[in-house]
Amino acid sequence: MSLVVQVRDLTKTYPDLSVGTRVAVDHISFSVAAGEIFGVLGPNGAGKTTTLRMLSTILRPTSGTIIINNANIDTDPHLIRKSIGFVSNNTAVYDRMSARELVEYFGRMHEMSRDLLRARIEIVFKKLCMDDMGNVPCGRMSTGMKQKVSIARALIHDPPVLIFDEASVGLDVMVTRSLLQTISALRDEGKCIIFSTHIMREVEKLCDRVAMMHRGRILDIGTLDELAEKYQQNDFEDLFFSLLTQDEQSQDAGRIHSSSHHIAGEGVPF
Amino acid sequence: MKWSRVMLIFTREMRDQVRDRRTMFTIFVLPMLLYPFMGMLMLQVAQFNAEYPVAVTWIGQENWPSESPLVIDDEQHRRSNELIHWTRHEPSSLTEDAQVVAENLVRNGATDFVLVTKPGLKAWLSQSTSKLDDNVTSSTDVPTDQFSATDKSIVPILTVVNQASDASLVAAKRVGTLIEDWRSAWLRKQLSDANLNPSIVDIVAIQRVDVAPAETKQALVWSKILPLIMLVWALTGAFYPAIDLCAGEKERGTLETLLCSPASRTEIVWGKLLTVICFSIATAVLNLFSMQFTSSFVMQQFALLGGPESVQALGPLPLSSLTWLIVILLPISAMFSALALAVAALARSSKEAQYYLMPLLLAGLPLVMLPMLPGISLGTGTATIPVTGAVLLARALIEGHLAEAFLYSPIVIGVTAICCLLAIRWAVRQFENESVLFRESERFELRAWLQNMFQHRTPTATAGEAMLCGSIILVALFFGRMSLASTELSWDSMTHSTIVIQIGMILAPCLIMATVLTSSVWKSLRLGRPRLADMLFCFGLGVSLHPAYMVLSSAIQYEFQFGSDTKEVLLYIDTMISAAPLWSVILTLAVVPAICEELAFRGFIFAGLLQQRGTLRAIIVSALFFGLSHGVLQQTIGATLMGLILGVVAWRTGGVLGCIVLHMTHNTLTMIVARAGKQTQLIPHFFEWAVVRTTDGGVAYSNLWTILSIVIATSILAALMWNNRPEHRADLLREGSLT
Repeated sequence: MSLVVQVRDLTKTYPDLSVGTRVAVDHISFSVAAGEIFGVLGPNGAGKTTTLRMLSTILRPTSGTIIINNANIDTDPHLIRKSIGFVSNNTAVYDRMSARELVEYFGRMHEMSRDLLRARIEIVFKKLCMDDMGNVPCGRMSTGMKQKVSIARALIHDPPVLIFDEASVGLDVMVTRSLLQTISALRDEGKCIIFSTHIMREVEKLCDRVAMMHRGRILDIGTLDELAEKYQQNDFEDLFFSLLTQDEQSQDAGRIHSSSHHIAGEGVPF
Repeated sequence: MKWSRVMLIFTREMRDQVRDRRTMFTIFVLPMLLYPFMGMLMLQVAQFNAEYPVAVTWIGQENWPSESPLVIDDEQHRRSNELIHWTRHEPSSLTEDAQVVAENLVRNGATDFVLVTKPGLKAWLSQSTSKLDDNVTSSTDVPTDQFSATDKSIVPILTVVNQASDASLVAAKRVGTLIEDWRSAWLRKQLSDANLNPSIVDIVAIQRVDVAPAETKQALVWSKILPLIMLVWALTGAFYPAIDLCAGEKERGTLETLLCSPASRTEIVWGKLLTVICFSIATAVLNLFSMQFTSSFVMQQFALLGGPESVQALGPLPLSSLTWLIVILLPISAMFSALALAVAALARSSKEAQYYLMPLLLAGLPLVMLPMLPGISLGTGTATIPVTGAVLLARALIEGHLAEAFLYSPIVIGVTAICCLLAIRWAVRQFENESVLFRESERFELRAWLQNMFQHRTPTATAGEAMLCGSIILVALFFGRMSLASTELSWDSMTHSTIVIQIGMILAPCLIMATVLTSSVWKSLRLGRPRLADMLFCFGLGVSLHPAYMVLSSAIQYEFQFGSDTKEVLLYIDTMISAAPLWSVILTLAVVPAICEELAFRGFIFAGLLQQRGTLRAIIVSALFFGLSHGVLQQTIGATLMGLILGVVAWRTGGVLGCIVLHMTHNTLTMIVARAGKQTQLIPHFFEWAVVRTTDGGVAYSNLWTILSIVIATSILAALMWNNRPEHRADLLREGSLT
């Protein structure tokens, strides 16, 4: 399988009033192939959204490399934007536009011809069962319907890479199930999918491989079977929590070690 | 940048805004309703003010001469009598206490106004009459002041009013008119009784001839009101769409999807900017038409009803004037829109954006209001003030002063275009700035912040710290100059105050901040190792720029003339400086300011502003701080322009020392030229051809040298830029100075 997304040593830091510089993403590396769903699992504040925002060119990496569909983010961000479809957790639709207008707007942004755009809208709306909601203003839609419009917007230009950032947040069970089915179908079409979540079940159900993130770092990457074998944990939730606990303990120990070292240094008489 | 994409974004934003009922109401419906409602309200208020009766108390009515009553009870005066409800008041003890009683009555609100006629009134009147008779019969010269003295000492009529009450003021006006009418009638009667012609009172009648055409008079009134109204609405009209298009998109989460679309940040900003401009213009134009239409209609109705002549003259504004107004509106709207967009981008929510935009409105209003001040007219100086110049140009065009308008229009257009481009650039930078677009709410903790400030200090200040330093210096200078202003002006006191100001108020804040807030005082003040070539270039630049600066300074002083008092003080200071030893003058006014001001403005502040690719920001803002630190407007303008050149030098040389050399050379030359008229030995023999004697005994640069020096200065600046081009200064590129 060809690698569509390649991430090497990706780091993102922010200036912070309290601590000076806050490291949101800390030297992470991974790659994703076509026809694969790559899960990014982590608790809130793990750096998932920042990572995906960097992949979708919304944020500039502080350091590291991102190559998507053979385009480097530093030199060709516009090519990357053409290759990706980004769906965020807040549905993000224009309330005063209808579903068709909104999808058409983003299609035209991708410089699609009118005929191609019309044909793609038909296909995408059919695929997402949206035929009856084309003229409904987004402001009058339910959260689930809005998320469908959001996915349609991301799919309209038929990108090889799709990025879902906690896309199931706020959706009811039925809509979530439908969303996961849609994503699964997109994988079957050969799309490269990066799917971030903090819900274990979604990872277990959907992802081919998963990266577990905590405090900006990737703790481990692998298929579910590989991880279960490596950590001798059959229950994925238990596996995830044991990794988090280990990481927290090692970081705390590091802090205590460095501070005690610092105190010992001060106490040396010479 | 693809314009097709800009237009796509623009069309969407326009459609989105048109579908927003709140925006449509503010921009289209409100102007249609506002002015008719305001007109209705004003008419009613005016009617109320004019018509309601007032209560007036009269103390000592019996002292008024019965043969010549104040209130005439006939049909002609019926209406005015109805509007004053008279009450007669008789205090228990009269005369001395009458004033106290009257004051209490008005103060307690028992009446609106009190008229007190004292017992001496009749005697005063008869005395005046007899004097008139004596003068007429004897025909001798009686000194007029004798009559006046008697007149003033008696004061037979007293009125008590409450200036804080509208009703009391209306009553005072009405009673005042009655007394004036009575006084005129009484005087005419006395003159008639003394066999004199009563029309002697109006003997010098003045006939006024007005040559202004009716259209010009109309334009004069409108030219003062309409630009103001138009620009205030242009600013207001830019606000709401800017908030919705920036902060609103952030709130809805749609900005993220737009940012990862193929549209570049510049395309997004232009698309949004065009939308805001459209709404800003639409709001201003609709308000303009609505106000003009409503007021013209009201005035025409007044004219039909026989209203005052001044009101009748206020017809509709000619179409040509309206066209000029709209032409002026376009660039100003673009500027306001870009500013509103940039400021709104800072906010996380619509509510927060309103907090940020209010200061922008407050900062913009003085520029719009400035042309309303008496004596402010279009000139080279006023044309250079952003917004104000455009308002004055609009006024000149409306009033038909086309020659004047076209003369100054290049300056106004130039200044407005520069401001507009800077505002647009700022807006684009805001959209490129992640910390602006994805700012999360940070809970500010003073302790953590202070701890971080000390633990994670950077070699140079941040942009915020630089701005804070500049502001501290300006505030310190404002209070410092006032407190150090000495009534006794001597060279000693001037030296003392200059050194205190330079070291205590300019150098000290930046030194303290450099020590406390940065990890390297050396780097934060940009005290890098100087290059000999740069120092020589800067010295040459200081010498060759001086003649051009002197010409500029004279032009500024011609345009913004000093008042006579200021001129006297400046002349006195010049004499004082000329009398002081040259070494002392150079040390105090050239060496100390060059070191202190450059370390502050091109050192600490410049280094801070240079962060995050802020080269242009560093040059402009440090020049503005430098200019504003000079207390006098004329100096501020010159210093700001000089600050721009110093900023370019600081940028390309990568340090402050070159600027110190340039500044010191410039100030030293100013001191030498000022005294070279009397001390000719100060002019080197080989340089005598370059100076000429002025009529006041001083010296000035010859025209030949001035032109030559400008060419030389340009060449030196070009050489300095070339010598320090980025590929030659890898060291500075690392520091971020050459970006």
